[in-house]
Amino acid sequence: MMTDHNVRFWGERIPREIVNMAKHLKDLDKQVFRQVLKVVVNCLEGKECSVSVADLQNTSLSEEQIIDIISGMNEVLREAVRVSPSSVKIKSFEDDLRELRRPTLKSSLTKHDPRLAKLEQFRWRVDVAVSTSSLSRALQPTILMQFTLSDGNRHQCEVSLSKFQELRYNIALILKETNDLEKRSVLKIQDHSS
Amino acid sequence: MADSEAVKALSGLLNGIAQSVYYGNSEITEELLKDELYPGVSPEEFHTLYDKMRGLLKSVAMADMDQAQLEAFLTAQTRKQGGGGTTSEQAAALARFWKGHRSRVRESLLAQSRWEPALRGLSWRVDLQTANSRGQTSNSPVALVELELGRNGQASEFVCLEFDELKINQVLKKMAEIQENIDSIVHHN
Repeated sequence: MMTDHNVRFWGERIPREIVNMAKHLKDLDKQVFRQVLKVVVNCLEGKECSVSVADLQNTSLSEEQIIDIISGMNEVLREAVRVSPSSVKIKSFEDDLRELRRPTLKSSLTKHDPRLAKLEQFRWRVDVAVSTSSLSRALQPTILMQFTLSDGNRHQCEVSLSKFQELRYNIALILKETNDLEKRSVLKIQDHSS
Repeated sequence: MADSEAVKALSGLLNGIAQSVYYGNSEITEELLKDELYPGVSPEEFHTLYDKMRGLLKSVAMADMDQAQLEAFLTAQTRKQGGGGTTSEQAAALARFWKGHRSRVRESLLAQSRWEPALRGLSWRVDLQTANSRGQTSNSPVALVELELGRNGQASEFVCLEFDELKINQVLKKMAEIQENIDSIVHHN
C-alpha cells in the first residue's frame, strides 16, 4: 500500500509517525482503512472529528493502533498536499487522494495562510475609437481589461497600446523569473530524494 | 505694434489657448492673456481675436490636420473676405504652432475621450514562499503584481494580485491573443 511510495516521498529518512503507521497497515481491513482516512481528511479540512474518532474505537483496532495510524496518515496527507504537483511522481498515491477530493483538501489547508487576492477571471476587449467629441478621426485602438479577483472585487481599466506592450513584456518577464527560480538548486534539494 | 511683437503676441496667444483648452491648465484665462499679451487692445477687440484663434485651432485639432491639409485650410481662411478672414500673420503663427504641438494636442484629445480608469503603471516581484505559520515548509514561487489604475486627474488606485506560474502562463496567452487582435486591425489600416 502507501508504504511502497513513502521512500520516493521523503528520501532516506521516513518520519517516525509513518514508520509507526506502516507496521499496523499490513493486516488492516480495507474498509477500516478508508474509515480512518476519512477521519483524517475531515480533521485536515477543519471539520469536527472527535465523534468520528470515537467511532473508530468500535472497529477491531486498539487505541494505540488508532493513534499511530491517524498520526501517520495525517503526516502523509500533509506532505502530499504540500509538495508541488510537478515534482510528485506517485501516480497511484494521487489516485487515492483524488478520490478524497484532494483539491478541496489542499485549498482548505492553504486558505489560512495570509495571501493576496488571486486573479479569478480576466476579460478583455479591443476598441478602436473612430470619432469622438474632440477628435473627428481618432482611429486609435485601446484595450479594455476587466479583472475579477478571488476576493470578489472587480476592476476595469483602459490600456493604451504602449501600456499594453509594457504589461505584456513584464508578464513574460515574471514567467521567466518564476521558471528560473524553480530551476535553481535550492529547489532541487527535494527532487534529489525522489 | 511692430511686426516681431505681433508675431510674438500671436504665438503667446495660441500657446495660452492650448494650455487652457488642451493641456488642462486652468490658470490661463482669457483675461490673463489679454493683460499679458494685448494690454493696449479693447476687451471687445481682444475677445474677437481670442475667439477666432480658438476656433481655428479647434478646427485644426479636431481634424488632426497634417501639413498639406493645414496649408489648404489656412489658404482658404486667408481668402475669406470681411472681418472673419485670417491675416497671413495669423496663418503663419498657427502653422508654426501646429508643427510643434500636433502630437501633444492629439494625445490630449484622445485622453479626453477616455473615461475608464487607465493603467498607469505596473510593479512586480517574484517571491519564494518558504514556510508558513503552521510550520510547514514550501517552495513554490509566487509572483506579486501591483497594478496602478486611475482616472484622468484623479489619484491612483492600487490593485495587488498574487499569481502562481500556471496563472501567469494563462494571462500571457491572453496577452498574445490581444496582440494578434490588434495586429490584425493595424495591419488592415
